[in-house]
Order: sequence, then structure tokens, then C-alpha cells
Amino acid sequence: MAHAHTVKRYSGLMDWLTTVDHKKIGILYMIAGGFFFLVGGLEALLIRIQLWKPLNDFVSADTFNELLTMHGTTMIFLAAMPLIFALMNAVVPLQIGARDVAFPFVNSLGFWTFLFGGVLLNISWFAGGAPDAGWTAYAPLAGKTYSADHGIDYYVLGLQIAGIGTLIGGINFLVTIINMRAPGMTFMRMPMFTWTAFITSALILFAFPALAVGLAALMFDRLFDANFFDPSGGGNAVLWEHIFWIFGHPEVYILILPAFGVISEVISTFSRKRLFGYSSMVFATILIGFLGFMVWAHHMFTVGLGPVANALFSIATMLIAVPTGIKIFNWLFTLWGGSITFTSANLFAVGFVPTFVMGGVTGVMLAAAPADFQYHDSYFVVAHFHYVIVGGLILGIFSGLHYWWPKMFGRVLNETLGKLTFWTFFIGFHLTFFIQHFLGLLGMPRRIWTYLDGLGFNEMNLISTVGAILMAFGTIFFLLNIVVTSFKPKNAPADPWEDGRTLEWTIPSPPPEYNFAQTPLVRGYDAYWKEKMDGHSGMTPAEPIGPIHMPSPSILPFFMGVGLFIAGLGFMYAPDWGNLIGWFKTGYAVGIIGLLILFGCMFLRSVIDDHGFHIEEDEILRDLGGKA
Amino acid sequence: MAGNHTATEESTKRHKVEGPKKHIIAFIFSVLLTFLAFATVISGEINKDFIYIILVGLAVLQVFVQMAFWMHMKDRGHMYAIIGILSGVFIVITCVIMAEYWAWW
Amino acid sequence: MSAHSHVEGQLPHEPEKATLEGRNKVLGFWLFLGGETVLFGTLFSAFLALRHQVLDGPPAHELFQLPLVALATALLLTSSLTSVFAVHALHTHRVKALINWLIITVILGAGFLGLEIYEFYHYVHEGHGFTTSAFSSSFYTLVGFHGAHVAFGILWISLIIVQLMKKGLTVVTAPKVYVASMYWHFIDVVWVFIFTVVYLMGKVV
Repeated sequence: MAHAHTVKRYSGLMDWLTTVDHKKIGILYMIAGGFFFLVGGLEALLIRIQLWKPLNDFVSADTFNELLTMHGTTMIFLAAMPLIFALMNAVVPLQIGARDVAFPFVNSLGFWTFLFGGVLLNISWFAGGAPDAGWTAYAPLAGKTYSADHGIDYYVLGLQIAGIGTLIGGINFLVTIINMRAPGMTFMRMPMFTWTAFITSALILFAFPALAVGLAALMFDRLFDANFFDPSGGGNAVLWEHIFWIFGHPEVYILILPAFGVISEVISTFSRKRLFGYSSMVFATILIGFLGFMVWAHHMFTVGLGPVANALFSIATMLIAVPTGIKIFNWLFTLWGGSITFTSANLFAVGFVPTFVMGGVTGVMLAAAPADFQYHDSYFVVAHFHYVIVGGLILGIFSGLHYWWPKMFGRVLNETLGKLTFWTFFIGFHLTFFIQHFLGLLGMPRRIWTYLDGLGFNEMNLISTVGAILMAFGTIFFLLNIVVTSFKPKNAPADPWEDGRTLEWTIPSPPPEYNFAQTPLVRGYDAYWKEKMDGHSGMTPAEPIGPIHMPSPSILPFFMGVGLFIAGLGFMYAPDWGNLIGWFKTGYAVGIIGLLILFGCMFLRSVIDDHGFHIEEDEILRDLGGKA
Repeated sequence: MAGNHTATEESTKRHKVEGPKKHIIAFIFSVLLTFLAFATVISGEINKDFIYIILVGLAVLQVFVQMAFWMHMKDRGHMYAIIGILSGVFIVITCVIMAEYWAWW
Repeated sequence: MSAHSHVEGQLPHEPEKATLEGRNKVLGFWLFLGGETVLFGTLFSAFLALRHQVLDGPPAHELFQLPLVALATALLLTSSLTSVFAVHALHTHRVKALINWLIITVILGAGFLGLEIYEFYHYVHEGHGFTTSAFSSSFYTLVGFHGAHVAFGILWISLIIVQLMKKGLTVVTAPKVYVASMYWHFIDVVWVFIFTVVYLMGKVV
């Protein structure tokens, strides 16, 4: 059986560019997502500095529009999404007892397309102006008439390319979870984080194509003078809002569900208790995913869709509070009577619960259509969605990073710095955004560049800015923690929290390339905990030790990302770059070259069979001996 | 995974009995439905809304036949395929309702 | 797990599902088609919302010619049948028949694409350009997305034919054939809705 295929195993930079290992791709996602998180955070700080006093002129009005657009777009698409994918890549295959994801090549392709899309979006800063029509890019503001420069083109093409990466990543995780589970790992034994990753991937699959169509239509409007959203050509601006939010609302649940998963894992581990109401948690996750597609028009209450539409979407939105409430109570009951340890991961998780409840409550307030006419476009809305996204998702990601850091890197993060991160970030967060509810109720509109003195906004804005600076300190403490930890010896045990319940804690930290020397046999929910309770030291293997087949590394995904990047730039600048021959524009030539790179790589991938290679038995035994 | 495997084996058994005959019947059925749709429009003179209903009905029927027989969705081991396509269809229906009722007023 | 274990000796009955890679591919492609459903559904809904916005261009019932659409439909429907025959040949391990059916499929698809290009050319001369109205933009985008799918399918299946000629039918090539045939059926299914919603409904005044 053991064929010795000679496959080059790269090292150094080449290893990272060609890797198809989900653990390394997870780290790549984390670095890229972390970088964009810092960029988006910097933009947020600049926004808050501009607003700290009335009639401030720290940045110009145009720059302010660019900042708020890029802050939203960057944080959602380029920071939150990849950080979620980082955790999913790092953890999901380990939790289901798999050696890799279903499509390792596609996994790497998803990362590189996301990265090049994100880079394309951000070079707009240096190419004559970033997008400035808000992260929702509403038509007709985003149309050619009102946004003549290339800012929105960068938005459209950058997100289109990044979106392709996300979509194929979602399909990859769906197939991985359906097909690659270890023997005995039935659906109702899957850890909660894997469940939420599964539902999130399904939402990605069904929501992102709608965004792709919307962006394509906007691109046609802008680059080829189509009339989708241009009323003078018979188009319909409200159609863009519909298409955007048919994607955009599920996107919100795409973001929050994995955070729910992280919180479930962390609270259960550090309470030393089985997750309360596991099956109701699964049910609630599915229900939230389903309802997420039926509430998009609550972003459009004031458009004037009529009482029937507003009533329907109002009720559907309020319904979501039911499964979410189930989750909140389940977390509380998991904590109830548990022997709780407040590690930094658990602090973030416990801090998440009340914070997210507050975001949820304002969500239900906004769901009441008549009341929404008052809150609409005010800082109340800004406060609401930062409570669910920062107070929900970002706290969840911080919790997950502290929890799984030893599994990803083999080093436990410093607890003192971790707690410092939590308290500065948590207090800073509430200081920044709690006060904004009242700013909104007082009537301060969102997305304004500055405000007059004497409106009663001054003190609250100042407090909000102070809070934002505190959050920046929280982030700096986290970065400091990463640096300090990276100088420590790589000696994290397989189960560093000692109360690990799921399969990822049964293998070394960080796991070897093949994850499981022997595929484990799963005998129940919380597979590892069950073995511990039955007095076993580890999992029962489901197979003898033998050579393990691995996929070969490939540079093609990287070049496919490059191809898309070049194609995007070419088509975008076609109107500016003049003609190559006759009517044929130079920009089109560049765009076609980019697409040829893409299709050439696809051709090579199809024609060259990937035989992969085997990791031989003696190498596995050596690894096992070394760790034991 | 064990469950998957038996499902594949069973679908194998069902395939063995199945010749191309069924596919030709599905083809004739599709041609017939297409013909009916074109004929309905050409004959004209019927109530507009009624024609719309007939046309959509014929299209849905034809797609159902093609997906069941040609894409093997009637066979075992296609549960996730059915879930995937139906979820997509569900979202498409909401999109169509949006386009018909909430885009203009 | 390994793709090698079946290459020698007898091919299993459904070679596309013989390996875990093959099963992953088929399942992943089904889910991808679920996403494609939403993609085309959104294009359809944009077309539905904008189909009456003809402005100065010709309206749908004057523009469309049903004989042309009927011919295109016949070609694509027949190509869907031939790709079923190809999969049948795959399951009975008749490589030659498989290749021939795929070639016929590609030829029929190319015929469909040729008709569509002629149709677009004709419409532009009738004053129905891409930028004429919201109706024309959404029409060309919807039908053009479908046409681009057909074009991609033709290239893809051609590439698979070449691979089948060179490598024969193996557990590596079989999933490719099966998945490409699923893709081709899906294109036909989308076309059923296009001729119904765009052309036939457009003809009803």
C-alpha cells in the first residue's frame, strides 16, 4: 500500500504560500484578519477623534466618509469573516476527528482570493480615494453620477473577489462536516462550535451568491453603463437595497453564530459541566439560520414598503429573539452550579453573555417598525449593531483565540496580560457604545462628519472617544501578549486547560501535520470527557497505525488570487488607460491577462493529477514516541 | 460515514435495473411540456394571469422531472442534494416575492 | 482514502463515488449548485423587477422570436439527454460510448451558444442594446450569465474529453465526468425557467 510518491515538502516562505494544511491556513487567516482588524480599528479611532468635540476639523468631510465606509467594510468582510475562518480552520477538522478538510486545495484558494480581494479594496487609499458611500453602498449614491471616481469600483471588485473566496470556503466546510467525521461522530454528538460552523457555512453558501449578483449589477452600472439601479435608465434604487440586505442580513448571522459556538465550548469547559440543553442549542442554531433569511427588510422599514411588508418583517424579526433567548438561558444554566474557573477565555465568554443580551434587546426595540422610524439612522442603531458585533462576535473571537491559542501554536497565552486585555477592552467597549444609545435617542444622526455645539452631544461624544482609546489599549495588550508568549518555550500540553471535552484536546499542541495518528472512535457527546469519566487516558483508536495519505502543496491558489487581482484592476481602469488597438482598451487587455492566469491555473489543476504523498509509519511512531 | 457507504451500495443496486429507457421517457415528457408551454403562448387569447400560472406550472413540472431522473435526485443518497437545492429554491422564492411586490409600489 | 487502491483491476459500478475524494466532489458540487440556484434566482428577480422598464427600446413581445428560442431549447434539451447517456456509459464502463456522448453534448452546446450569439447580435441591431434600458440590461445580464455558464461548460467538458482519451476511465476521471454532467443538467434546468419567464411570458401581452 505504501507508495513512495516523491513530493517536494517546502520550507520557509514557500511553505506558507503553497500550504494546503488547514492548521496553517487557519494561521494565515488569523494573521490577515488580524491585520485588517488593526486597519479597521485605526479607522475607527480616527472617526472617534474627529467626533470628540463639536465642529472639529481633524479630518475633512470627504475623508470622514471614506473612513466610515472603509471601517465598516473592512471590519465585516476583511476582519470578522477571516477571523471566523481562522478559528474554523484551526478547530473544526480536529473536533470531528478528521485529518484534513474535504478540499485542501480549495481551502487554500479561498484564503488567497480573500486576501487579494482585501488588498485590492485597501489599495484604493493610495489610488485616488477609498469608497465613500457607506458599507451598504446604496444606489444611486454609489452610482456613477454621484461617485464618479474609482472608490466604489474598488469596493465592488474587491468584495466580489473576496466573496468568491468566502463562498468556496463555506462549501468546503459543509462537505468536511458532512463527509469527514470520525467513526461514531454522529451529527448529534458534534461539538457546538462545529455545529455553528456548519450552519454558518450553509448561510454563506446561500447568501453570498446574492451579493455576487448585486455587486455584478452595480459593476455593470458603473463600468458598462447598465441601468439596474439608475432611475433615469428605468432602473430601481430600492432593488439594490433589497439585494444587498437579502445577503446582508444572513451575513450578520454568519458572523455571530460561530461566536455562539465558541462561547458554548468555553463556558462548558470552564464550568466543568456538559453544555446545558445541547439539542435545544442545535435546534436554536438551525432556527436562527433559517429565520435569518426572512428578515432582511427590517433594514428598510423607512423605505415605505407598506404596512403589510413592515408588519411581516417586524414579526419575523422579533421571532429570532426566541431561539437566541434559548441560547442565553442555556449558557446561564451551564454556568449554574458549575465549578467555574475565570481564565481569560472564560472572562471573555462570561462578559459576552450580558453584552450580547443588551444588543439583542435593542434589536427587538428596532424590530418594532413604528419605533424604528424614530431610531432609524441615529446613533441608537450604531450602538445596537456594535453591541452585537463587537460585544458579541469580537468578544467571542477573543475568547476563542485565548482558548485555542495553545492548540494552534503550542504556547499558552499569558493569563495576566489576557485578563488585562479583557478588562480594558470590555470597559472601553461599554464606555464607547453604551452612551451612544442615548446620543441616538437625543437625535444625533449616524454618518455625520461633525456636529454643532450646544446640542447636548458634547460630553457623550467625549466619553465615547475615551472608551475607544481604552479599546485600543486592550488590543495593544493582546498584541503584547502574542509577542511575549512567542518567546516562551513551545511546551503546551495536549490538554492545557485539563478539562478539555472535545477531540482537539486529545492530540498534541500543535498537532502534527496529519492531526490524528489513528482516527479516534467516538462513543458519545463530549467524546474526550466521556473517556475521561470512564477512566480511560485517551481515545480508543478506530484503525491501526499505518501510512497516512496527504495532499501535495500547491502554488496555484496563490496565482489564481493574483490573476483575479490583475483582472479586477484592469477592468476598473479600462476607461482611463486609453486604447491598445482600435477600440480595444488597454484595461481590457490587462483584465483578460488576469483572467487567463486564473483559467490557466484551473487548467493545470484539472490536468495534473494530485497523487499526494504518504507519511510513513516510522515517522508517525517517531512523533508518538517523542510526545509520550 | 458508515451510513453513507450503505446508501451508496443501495443506489448501486437500483442503477443496475435502470436502462436508458427511463431517460428517454423523461426526455419525451420534457419535450411535451416544452411544446405545451410554447403552444399556450402562441394560441394566446386566454387571460394573462392564467397563462402565467400555466407556464410556471409547466416549467416547475419539467424541472422536477429532469432533476429527479437525469440528475438522479430520486435515488438514495441524495438527501443533502435535496436539502441544498430546496434551500436555494426557498431563498429564490423570497427574492421573487420581493421583486414582484416590494420593489415598486 | 487513497485514490490508488482501485486503479488496477475492476472499476466499481459507480466509479464516481468509489473514493472519498469522489464522494466529496459530488456532494460539494451539489451544494455549489444550491448556491448557483440563489445566484440565478437573484438574477431572475432583478429581471422580473425591471422587465417593464423598456424606455425607448423595443418591448419584449415585439423583440423576441419564438422559433429561434424553440430551436435553442431543443438543442439544449437534447444535449442534456446526451449527457445522461454519457453518465449511463460511465456506469457501464463503456469509455468509447462515454467519449462519443460527451462530444455530441459539446457540439449541441456549441450550437446553442452560436444561436444565442446570433440572437444578441440581432437584438442589438433592433435597438435593444445593453445600455438601452433597465429591461435590456437585466435581460442581457440574466441570459448572458447563462450563456457564460454554457461557454464554460463547453470548455470544461472538452477538457474532460481530452483527459478521458489520455487517461481512460479511472476513479480520478469518473467524478469529473459525473460532476460536469450535473453542471450541464443544471444549465438546462435554468434554461427551462429562462424560456418560460423571459421569452414566453415576455410574449404574453
